[in-house]
Amino acid sequence: MARKASPARLVIALSVAGVLAVFLLYTSIAGGGNPSLPPSELAGRTGEVQLAGLVVGPVRGDAHAGGLRFRLRDISGESRTSVAVLYTGSVPDLFKVGRHIVVNGELERGTFVAQPGSMITKCPSKYAPKSDSA
Amino acid sequence: MPELGRAALLVTLGLSVYALVAGAMAAHLGRRRLARSAQNALVASFATTAVAAAVLLAALLRNDFSFTYVSRTTSEALPTAYTISAFWGGQEGSLLLWLLVLTGFGAAAVSLNRRWARDLIVWVVPVFAGVATFFAFLVVAVASPFATQVAPTDGAGMTPSLQNPYMLAHPPLLYLGYVGLTVPFAFAMGALLSTKLDERWLIATRRWTLFAWAALGIGQLLGSHWAYVEVGWGGYYAWDPVENAALMPWLAATAFLHSVMIQERRGMLKVWNVLLVILAFSLSLFGTFLTRSGVVNSIHSFTQSSIGPWFLAFIVLVVTVSLGLLFWRLPQLRSPTKLESPVSREAAFLYNNLLLLALCLAILWGVVYPMLSELVRGEAVVLGRSYYDFFLRAFGLPLLLLMGIGPLIAWRRASLKSLATTFRWPTGVAAATGIVLLLLGAGSSVPGLVAYTFSAFVLATIAMEFARGTRARKALGASSWPAAFASLISRNRRRYGGYVVHAAIVMLAIGIAGSSAFDSVAEAKLARGESMTIGDYTLRYSSLDERATANATEIRATFDVRRGDRDLGTLQAGKNAYTIEDQISNEVGIRSDRLTGEDLFVIAEQINRDGSVQFRVFVKPLVNLIWLAGLVFLVGSLVTLWPDRHEQRRLVARASEAGLPATR
Repeated sequence: MARKASPARLVIALSVAGVLAVFLLYTSIAGGGNPSLPPSELAGRTGEVQLAGLVVGPVRGDAHAGGLRFRLRDISGESRTSVAVLYTGSVPDLFKVGRHIVVNGELERGTFVAQPGSMITKCPSKYAPKSDSA
Repeated sequence: MPELGRAALLVTLGLSVYALVAGAMAAHLGRRRLARSAQNALVASFATTAVAAAVLLAALLRNDFSFTYVSRTTSEALPTAYTISAFWGGQEGSLLLWLLVLTGFGAAAVSLNRRWARDLIVWVVPVFAGVATFFAFLVVAVASPFATQVAPTDGAGMTPSLQNPYMLAHPPLLYLGYVGLTVPFAFAMGALLSTKLDERWLIATRRWTLFAWAALGIGQLLGSHWAYVEVGWGGYYAWDPVENAALMPWLAATAFLHSVMIQERRGMLKVWNVLLVILAFSLSLFGTFLTRSGVVNSIHSFTQSSIGPWFLAFIVLVVTVSLGLLFWRLPQLRSPTKLESPVSREAAFLYNNLLLLALCLAILWGVVYPMLSELVRGEAVVLGRSYYDFFLRAFGLPLLLLMGIGPLIAWRRASLKSLATTFRWPTGVAAATGIVLLLLGAGSSVPGLVAYTFSAFVLATIAMEFARGTRARKALGASSWPAAFASLISRNRRRYGGYVVHAAIVMLAIGIAGSSAFDSVAEAKLARGESMTIGDYTLRYSSLDERATANATEIRATFDVRRGDRDLGTLQAGKNAYTIEDQISNEVGIRSDRLTGEDLFVIAEQINRDGSVQFRVFVKPLVNLIWLAGLVFLVGSLVTLWPDRHEQRRLVARASEAGLPATR
């Protein structure tokens, strides 16, 4: 039987090419994402990063006037290094000392300056709460 | 009592292992009585799991804090409804619920199909039993819900944000969806193992897949609505890994539900369908792994638990074995027919599938990217919101358009001329809508405008289909227009239910586009008596009140809201401070416009000592269409799920045509 080339292959090849093109388009216009770091690895970093850590008090200031100041240390607890954070914008309800939070921003002269409104707190564990962090 | 629970689970594990081993032996050697006994073991494992579940439920209801699980998830003061929801509020209980639903679905799916597809079922049983063995092992050996301790005087209680009615329905619906995807998976594997690769496994599982898919969809929408009204940050979906965990299997299942029609009708895409089923099931396992293992940063914090590695191992096993099996049976899965033209219904469905899959995989890539980049570069890189938004537009908008084209285009081969005739009206409607919206200023967001234009196109095709069908039924002798309409739907529930679901997805698209592409936001710090404006709304902050309730102190700021010259009454926003749990929760004020579906959404971000309040206000046009879409989706799903004698007859006829034992 003389096999007529099935358009299926053409369709799939074109689709795959289309998807790849879309991916390339994305990476060329939007670039990659941000590195996610714990406070202990922040020293000397430049550029925008995502910082995930545990809130250490005291918490001072006003997020809507001058900014909220607090420190973050590693969630894993292996390192005692902490970093000062300056944050403005909306503060999630769950934010308080001892909570795990994630903020985006940049290290500027030893202080992590967070992008306004970038803070997310993690839900207090829905599954199997840990009691040691409070 | 905990002993009874533990014993019941141990028996469940034993029964599952027996059903796996005996079932596989019976199928391999062709022993009918042994196969029957394996089936019975699967059914019995449901009964023993139910006993274990009853023990846990009773312990929860009795506030028996000697159960570690009960003391960790509830407290004396917790209302009964939430005490029940604590069943799935913790990891061990969730796994038990998973096992219960799994064995229940397995027993039912096997029993319902055992006469009709016996040769297939003998292999389905051990597959089900294999999955059940894994979960039974977890609740027996790794995360037992029946661990005991010296009873404390009170339990730890439940997080306030989980104490709301959504949590009664949202998690169980997701579980029904996740676990429900095991049914098509088990039947697909059964078909591969038994080499009964005809369409029966599709027919037997169609409703199960639909059910799982509908539950997953509605469960997710409920979760979004919960986030919108309770969490109160002004959005409803954050592309969080845990949210994506539910979206990915739903997308894969959506693709499967569509490609199944091509296999039923034209015998094509056989390998593809099995692949999609494997993907959907693996993604539902992967979703559970994500939520439990804490490998990625998520706003849902899940403490590192011991079950992560087990899940990962199980996923690897499932993927390897099922792909191996598929590869082994490839020669038997050749399609008798080929795609004839890239412009045909088959092709349109194929594009739809590829786009759904591309979207699903793009999301998967975003979810695993932090892990992969950590492996490769030693540093986790997180892809943000813009990544997901980009791909939602890139793949979602063409999908929207295809939703209008696919159902109308001719099978096999469509000529361009016939396309022009078919789509004359919808294209006209879409163009008119686009122009009107452009004149109204919708050009501020190009993706939003495109989404609206495509939506108009799809809605026009759906309306046209209903109108044409109803007219045809009327011409065939229906007594009245409503009767013609009813008979149209009841004669082909699958098709017209599908259109209803499509209409729901269009509403969803309009709601998402409206609330994300055309929303506005304003922020201000107001003292009492001061006002702020957003769009044509004016909000005057009039008073601040504090009130103590049983478990919380509630602070509320009250506004007088006006829109233009119209007085819209008052709206409250504030915070609750929960005393026992030492937590604060935002209580947002939402005013919905019933006519336009627009929401005015007020967050009291910060309440200062001097009585001034930092407010954040959103206007979200059309956002209520999203929730309405949920209802329409439910109606459409019910229509397609409803038993349909006509369809059953057609399928059986087609099956017997192919020389199959279709006696049901």
